[in-house]
Amino acid sequence: MIKNKSKSEESGLAPIWNWRITAFAAALLLFVGILAISFGPVSLSFQEIIRTLLGLPGGLTGQDRTLLIDLRLPRALLAAIVGAALATSGAVYQTVFRNPLADPYLLGAAAGAGLGATIALTSAGADLRSLLPVFAFFGAISAVLVSFFISGKFFAEPNSLLLSGIAVGSFATAVQTYLQQRNSASLRPVYSWILGELTVANWQVVTWSSIYILIALTILFTVSKQLDGLMLTDEEAYSLGINPNKLRVIAVVAATLATATAVSASGLIGFVGIVVPHLVRGLTHRVTNRGLLTIALVGASFLVLADLGARTLLSPAELPIGVITAFVGAPFFLFVLRKKRLVAH
Amino acid sequence: MINISDLSVRIGQRNILSDISVEIEDGKWTCLVGPNGAGKTTLLKSLLGSLPYSGSITDNGVEVFRNHDRNVAFVPQHPQIPIGMGVGEYVMMGRSKRDGWGNESSHSRKIVADILKLTGLFGMQSQHVSLLSGGEMQRALIARALVQEPTLILLDEPTSALDLHHQIAVLNNIEILKERGVTIISTMHDITLAAMYAEKIVVMQEGRVLLNGTSDFVIHSPELKSAFENRINVYTLDSGRPVIVANKDLTN
Repeated sequence: MIKNKSKSEESGLAPIWNWRITAFAAALLLFVGILAISFGPVSLSFQEIIRTLLGLPGGLTGQDRTLLIDLRLPRALLAAIVGAALATSGAVYQTVFRNPLADPYLLGAAAGAGLGATIALTSAGADLRSLLPVFAFFGAISAVLVSFFISGKFFAEPNSLLLSGIAVGSFATAVQTYLQQRNSASLRPVYSWILGELTVANWQVVTWSSIYILIALTILFTVSKQLDGLMLTDEEAYSLGINPNKLRVIAVVAATLATATAVSASGLIGFVGIVVPHLVRGLTHRVTNRGLLTIALVGASFLVLADLGARTLLSPAELPIGVITAFVGAPFFLFVLRKKRLVAH
Repeated sequence: MINISDLSVRIGQRNILSDISVEIEDGKWTCLVGPNGAGKTTLLKSLLGSLPYSGSITDNGVEVFRNHDRNVAFVPQHPQIPIGMGVGEYVMMGRSKRDGWGNESSHSRKIVADILKLTGLFGMQSQHVSLLSGGEMQRALIARALVQEPTLILLDEPTSALDLHHQIAVLNNIEILKERGVTIISTMHDITLAAMYAEKIVVMQEGRVLLNGTSDFVIHSPELKSAFENRINVYTLDSGRPVIVANKDLTN
């Protein structure tokens, strides 16, 4: 017998999660982040960026420093936390609803936020433009609450919750369209908000959105290991020491908080919540929610990269970031759909 | 000893179980039989402790409802199959109650490997559970229950979707649990198989217990036939083994 065998060899079982993958994802995010703050219409030197960030002498000065600290850095950070929030919430919704195509906007959060934002943009008299994130946030939360309220017994029937989410979403979209048509001046800002924008990023937005998102993600990472139990029937989960309904409520509340915050900070950025979880699961061949932190890190990298594309592809003009994520996301979504059908047969 | 007394369960406006009083012995295999809709599955869920009930169910003197201190394994008739999860990981979930979710000890890894060998699943641990055949899936479920090292295992129709060969394989796997001193309560639609494996049989009809006793006693009771509206006949083979056959001639 050879001594010093690794754990996995001894029992013949592969480890359920390899944390080196998570470390790799963290390194990837760091690399992508530095890439994003270096490139743009004005390129900044990599060395000088590092020196500036670490507070060493020989860093950027004047306009370049302002560009880095007040524009690119908050924007990259916002992209990262929004990406992490959407990818994690998507993965959690997929587990909770046992539906691989579930996304963070499933329960009406997107349409509710859209309605809230439209109200802010179309309201006559008071200038509510600056309160747009607050309106979007409460729009999203209200839509999800109404979906829960209508479906009644929380998770007794997940499908009725999904259907009421769809109905509430359609209703909110109808009201939003009506408001928009009555106030055609708002068409353009509403439209560009719906496609998602990170141009509003400043330190204030970064601060408040990261507080909410970090709280939500901390809760989700804490319960992530138990979440695997929700892939079983409620009786099996119960017998393995889980209270399934309590866990679902915790998970959905936290995921909705993260989604609503992300939406109110950056508009409706689609497909991150579907693409990233499936990408990570596909590459690692693991569906366990122990990968949640990795999904968050990859989601952050994905959106930082997408934003870099949005800023530079048509430079100096900007593409809405939602266009980039959907351009990658939609074909991928179809791929997942097709693969799922193949597995089912 | 599990003591069920005056147990009633209502779901919505319907009485699913009414005034059930039964004692279930430790370390024995008790089988619940009866026609569809008799309340067998509801009784299993009540015994698990996840379903609100009136009356009382005590397991060694402790009320079972929402009692998470017990270690009870549950094998459902229609399991929810996690798409993309490997067999090894699926069976490893059985250790979650003992190790805490996500904290597998090396001791647990060894137990899982041993049980995979015992149930003939070793070598398939990376295969997705969603791609298993019916018999393999049932074995994976039993393997997960075995690694849980429970004091009680509840099985809902463990053989319903299987051909005879796999039924026997699965039932033999369940017997491993009994050899380890685990109390077994299962529902089974095949009364002949129930009589072959279980020591005790509880016959249910419309939410009530009709008959309760040793397999031999129950099988030869005239009430068994009436529970199935006289649509079955009981024959005895030369070896003394009872065989229950559906009665084709009777019409409504």
